[in-house]
Amino acid sequence: MNALTRFLRRLEGPQTLGRGPLFWAGFLVTLAAACAYPLFSDGYTVGNTVYFFTWIFMALGLCLIWGYGGSLSFGQTAFFGIAGYSYGILTINFGAAYGFTFVALVFAVAVAALFAALLGYFLFFGRISGVFLGIVTLSVTLVLERFMAQTAGPEWRIGAARLNGFNGMSNMPPLTLPWPGGDIVLFPDVELYYVVLAMLVVVYLGLRILVNSPFGNVLVAIRENPERAEMLGYDIRKYQLGTFVIGAALAGLSGVLYTSWGQYITPSSMGMTAAALPIVWVAVGGRSDLTTTLIGTVTVLAVFQALTIHGSQYALVVMGVMLVLTVLLAPSGLIFALARLVARPFTKRLPGDA
Amino acid sequence: MDVGTLAFSALYQFGDAFAFLVLSACGLAVIFGMMGVINLAHGEFIMCGAYVTVSAAHAGLPLPLAIVLGALVAGMVGALVEIVVVRHLYDRPLDTIVATWGLSLIGTQGTLILLGSTMAGVGTPFGSFQVGAYSYSLYRLVLFVMAVVVLAGLYALFNWTRFGVMARATIQVPHMAAALGVDTRRVYSLTFALGAGLAGLAGGLYAPTMTLVPTMGTTFIMEAFVTVVVGGADVFLGTAPAAALLAVVKATMTSWYGQLFGQIGLLVAVIVVIRVLPRGISGFLLRERA
Amino acid sequence: MPLIETRALNKRFGGLHVTNNVDLALETGEVHCLIGPNGAGKSTLFRLILGEHLPSSGAILFAGEDITALKSFQRIRRGMSVKFQVPGIFKALSVRQNLEIAMQHHYEPAHLAEEIDKLLAFLNLAADAGRLAGNLSHGQKQWLEIGMAISLKPRLLLLDEPTAGMSPEETHATGEMIQRLNADGMTVLAVEHDMAFVRQVAHKVTVLHLGKVFAQGSIDDIVANEDVAAIYLGQTTAHATAHQQPGGLHA
Repeated sequence: MNALTRFLRRLEGPQTLGRGPLFWAGFLVTLAAACAYPLFSDGYTVGNTVYFFTWIFMALGLCLIWGYGGSLSFGQTAFFGIAGYSYGILTINFGAAYGFTFVALVFAVAVAALFAALLGYFLFFGRISGVFLGIVTLSVTLVLERFMAQTAGPEWRIGAARLNGFNGMSNMPPLTLPWPGGDIVLFPDVELYYVVLAMLVVVYLGLRILVNSPFGNVLVAIRENPERAEMLGYDIRKYQLGTFVIGAALAGLSGVLYTSWGQYITPSSMGMTAAALPIVWVAVGGRSDLTTTLIGTVTVLAVFQALTIHGSQYALVVMGVMLVLTVLLAPSGLIFALARLVARPFTKRLPGDA
Repeated sequence: MDVGTLAFSALYQFGDAFAFLVLSACGLAVIFGMMGVINLAHGEFIMCGAYVTVSAAHAGLPLPLAIVLGALVAGMVGALVEIVVVRHLYDRPLDTIVATWGLSLIGTQGTLILLGSTMAGVGTPFGSFQVGAYSYSLYRLVLFVMAVVVLAGLYALFNWTRFGVMARATIQVPHMAAALGVDTRRVYSLTFALGAGLAGLAGGLYAPTMTLVPTMGTTFIMEAFVTVVVGGADVFLGTAPAAALLAVVKATMTSWYGQLFGQIGLLVAVIVVIRVLPRGISGFLLRERA
Repeated sequence: MPLIETRALNKRFGGLHVTNNVDLALETGEVHCLIGPNGAGKSTLFRLILGEHLPSSGAILFAGEDITALKSFQRIRRGMSVKFQVPGIFKALSVRQNLEIAMQHHYEPAHLAEEIDKLLAFLNLAADAGRLAGNLSHGQKQWLEIGMAISLKPRLLLLDEPTAGMSPEETHATGEMIQRLNADGMTVLAVEHDMAFVRQVAHKVTVLHLGKVFAQGSIDDIVANEDVAAIYLGQTTAHATAHQQPGGLHA
């Protein structure tokens, strides 16, 4: 067995649900359906679907940090916001020519990751865990929100980019693919859909490989019993920090895609309410697995969208109720609870039990 | 400006910051210190206290009574929340945070739906007084006195009353307390209600000084979290000194660079403190007793 | 040169002097048992050696190197390994995965599965490889953790009451396993209550009492020592339950 096949075999393993031909057949059918979807729809609806997709990266990042690593970060929207604003500042200043928007994407995600590395160093090397990790990350997020909200004055500008306080920053160029014969501007439409879908597939499969790798083994070991993990010779602080940075980078990717999708970003996308939403998506589906997180996120977002017709405050109340009920009645997530209910007559045990 | 007025100004800033930190944090700290639970709906209990206070004041109740009513109502809501939700999650602290966050969403958005985006406030009582060239709000001094009164009251409650002794016994050795006939469930309910009531009191006390919006809780929670994180799990050895320390940081930063930098100063202080004292000030003071 | 050595080790918690000037030295290849009544400071000494607590004063040397300031994982990487009293396993993961996590950096990826199979067979857990570790019997959990500890191929194996909750047969089998590991060169330091087990494995015994080294010598010396019996008996009168401990000294 050479290194590459060993690498690819990690697409399935003990840390991910779904293995064998049946699962991958289902995966390919879903992917094919997702690819064919724009053929049966109009550009506007497809563009709205992309909006759903942009959030999934942040959810998968939180799934990695919380579901696999056992650390609960409430600060994912901080990284989302930092990357979103960074993208805006970079592209407003340097434009969209020569594929620079993708360079800006990489830089913006890197800025978010760097910030996470700095914060994470203090947290994890200070051995902060459990509830304290949650409150500190949330405090940081709230301060960032307040900071951005008071940058309305004209003195708050970076180059040509006004931060614009509470109203947020807008009119940055969308992602633009350089193409012979004219750049393709990725407005919320079919082209952007395929780009984001491709990113999603890459990230999903990449994370599957990561969590089934030795790194992922240590990650779940830390979740289960940090002391034992350390006593096997692992510097758990480094693993926690690494996970935190990866999760933050994914939140940052969401931030960039969101910003380029709507060509705006506001401080409230980081605030208390916004910060609660990733927790809802991940908790409701089933935080301990990438696939359930993915399905849960899409489902909750669809429900949210449907409810927003009656007003977004109603939708948020429903989100809150969903969160409370999930925690009380199905702590490992609704998909696991449903699976257990369906599978009860057939099998004795499912992953995620215990 | 002479040294006297300068000193008064600094003291006033400090007292104002100290009162805000203590009053915002003590409800959260009681629940965290006694039960190990972080209540993310803390801000909504504050909002609840403020709304009840202002409604009662509009209905003609004198302000002090209205504030007491606000605290009581918040406390009762807290007891209800404990019975319906929190009680079932004591063995899962992270899930408690998540569930109380859900409650916070419901609280904020529900208030928005039912009562609209803002509510007419009541004016700040007592007016102002003059020291040197500056005028100061007398009500802010009242708030400082109230913060001290609350701390003293909590000290008396936990050391001199039957409830306090039972609560401390329950926290230290739950099964032993239960074996001695203490109804530990009731102690937890009452402790949670006390924490929520203190949050409501903070809301009621600050209601005359701010605009009433459903998201007003977020104005308090960051300060509350920060104080609890820096202080650690003990209200007296933790929250009070943490509030004093942070009040110095906040007052200094605010008077030099403005409100926002006061908050950033707080945050930096927190990150430094957790790196040096991971279990907060009280953890440091108590470390040798482990 | 001793493999592990503590020099004038002290640990105070407030007014409590839990570890009082402890000098302990294990030569390579030694099986050393640490005994003493409850509250003698055995567990604290263990945690000091592991780096979970930092000493108030004194030094710890491993193979001649001063490791007093090192973090736990750094000590493990230098060749220590531990089995805790309460089984420290990853309950929600399978038995195989538990071992994989312990062993993945010690073997070539291509040979890892094979090595895990070998260890599973050695631990009598081959049939349970796919079960969740949390669903094993208590004895099996102990074995699994011992397996995780020895899979690191440590020079020094620390065992905190390895036979707690085991039947006499399981205890004896554990003793045999330790003897086999020792024959391959592993040095062992064990906290143990079960005197039959101590008699079976120990080359040398140290008695801790009130944080101090009270007596040291061969098992026969210790059993013959009337002062040692007295501290256990004192314990017995003070705490009526102490004599129920499996295989207490006077039993």
